[in-house]
Amino acid sequence: MSRQLVEALVYESCLALNAEDWKAFLGMCERDAFRYRIVNYSPEIRREQCWMDRDWKGLKTLLDLLPRHNSDHSPLTRHATVYRVVLDEEAKEADATTLVTIYRTELDGGNSHFESGQTSLFAVGKYEDRIRLDGEGGAKLVRRTVRLDTRQIGMGSHVPF
Amino acid sequence: MSEPTPRTFAQWTRPPVLPASHFVDTRVYNDHGIFEEEIGRIFERTWLPVCHESELPEPYDFRTAGIAGTKPIVMVRGPDGKIRTFLNICPHRGNTIVRAPSGSLTRAEPSGNPKNMTCMFHGWQFDAMGRCVEIPREEQGYQGRLCKSEVGLRELRTELAHGGFVWVNLDDGCEPLPDFIAGAFDFMARELDTEPLEIFHYQKAIIPTNYKLWHETSREFYHDYMHFHNRATGMLQKGYFDRKYTAFRNGHAATGLTTIAYEAYEGGKERLLTFPGLPKNGWKQLNIFPACTYSLRTSCLRVSVMTPISERETLIEIRGLGLKRDTPEERAERIADHDTIWGPFGRNLHEDLLAVRNQSVAMREGSGSRYLIMAREENGTIHDEIGLRSYFAEWSRRMGRPASDP
Repeated sequence: MSRQLVEALVYESCLALNAEDWKAFLGMCERDAFRYRIVNYSPEIRREQCWMDRDWKGLKTLLDLLPRHNSDHSPLTRHATVYRVVLDEEAKEADATTLVTIYRTELDGGNSHFESGQTSLFAVGKYEDRIRLDGEGGAKLVRRTVRLDTRQIGMGSHVPF
Repeated sequence: MSEPTPRTFAQWTRPPVLPASHFVDTRVYNDHGIFEEEIGRIFERTWLPVCHESELPEPYDFRTAGIAGTKPIVMVRGPDGKIRTFLNICPHRGNTIVRAPSGSLTRAEPSGNPKNMTCMFHGWQFDAMGRCVEIPREEQGYQGRLCKSEVGLRELRTELAHGGFVWVNLDDGCEPLPDFIAGAFDFMARELDTEPLEIFHYQKAIIPTNYKLWHETSREFYHDYMHFHNRATGMLQKGYFDRKYTAFRNGHAATGLTTIAYEAYEGGKERLLTFPGLPKNGWKQLNIFPACTYSLRTSCLRVSVMTPISERETLIEIRGLGLKRDTPEERAERIADHDTIWGPFGRNLHEDLLAVRNQSVAMREGSGSRYLIMAREENGTIHDEIGLRSYFAEWSRRMGRPASDP
């Protein structure tokens, strides 16, 4: 049952992010404890590096301010598969490892006459999630680390993966 | 002053009524012949930083890269601690010798001795000084007609300077690095050279744009209108429009110290960490001709370098650096500061890349694009386009013709 809750939360989080329903996504995260990070290992400089690090409030601010920034509005599609769930019964928490593939469907980032509607692979990596289970059928993200394998993401992104 | 109206084809294609130094013909961005000339006349003759010393901290560490278009190079720290640069091409059959982006030669390759660079194809080996030290079955194959002393690697002029960067020049007869820099780093020397720096961020992207367009985003600040972050933290702050621009010999240009109100961006906060000599919340920037920018924003140094691939494709490498002596907490703060603006998920970088990509779309050969204007004159202050004009003055000198009529 707990594993199902964990998987459901991970998949619902992807649906919310894909729909750019930031409010729904933030609603799936523990307001006081949530930490969102995007990291990768660079073989060029032989060290792990962090490309985004936000708490709940910081992430909300970032998302609230999106309309004030000039962005590539090409929608992202996260395709995820939960590979492993390790339950921590004592802490009423779980660690989930999810492989995620992110596609981008062009809209206005480049030559929209030629490219809009094209879909390409944008990035691959993992979600490493820490999830709190309330024992009453509820689950929330305490931590999400997006560990990217892809290190070249072109023009980058204004939105979380 | 006449009424603003749209223009006919004849009007559109007429050069602007401005001095030739104040506009550019867009063929400099999309003509393949001009691009090839730029590689030969500019990139094969100028100094550019190719990596930071902290990327190869130990003897026998190496780092591979490319320079002047498609020339593969390898930087190696020798047993004497000195960093040398070589073309990463085996003199035997032209194979790439060192394949990994970085590493240590102390680890043995499947077909070579530790501490040497081994070409996997036929096992020729080169030491960290670039000398050929092993040719399998040398005597049987060459009978003294060719020997190891004649087939060393091609070494490139290399200097360690300006914050510990490894500067390389393909031209054996080039001017010394200090002559090329012409004092442009003097106003940033204390911050960069008082104590060792260390890399914490590396990203690269191949962007479908001309390298000059990316460099130009660093050379003009008029586009701060595009960045909400810069409008809030800079343009709306007292003194923003007083920031001075200085052009140096050889096409380098610097923007002097200004103070940024980071807390003016919602969720932002004052930056406490700096570099030696840099005031809190200070920001200095220096553009080095033809394709490098040092931007020192309070707690982090960003260095971006462009490698032109074609007239419409550019490899952009961005490095973030802090002080080597940083505590883990200080380093984390510098990284967070860096990524807020400049990382691949930063607020400004994405906007800049979006702009230069779309410039390239609109300026594609045959698109109808003709001229870019760089005519703002504001007494050498921040929105004066003196940085663009100084760039193209140097470009024109090296290319032997004006960028307004290439």
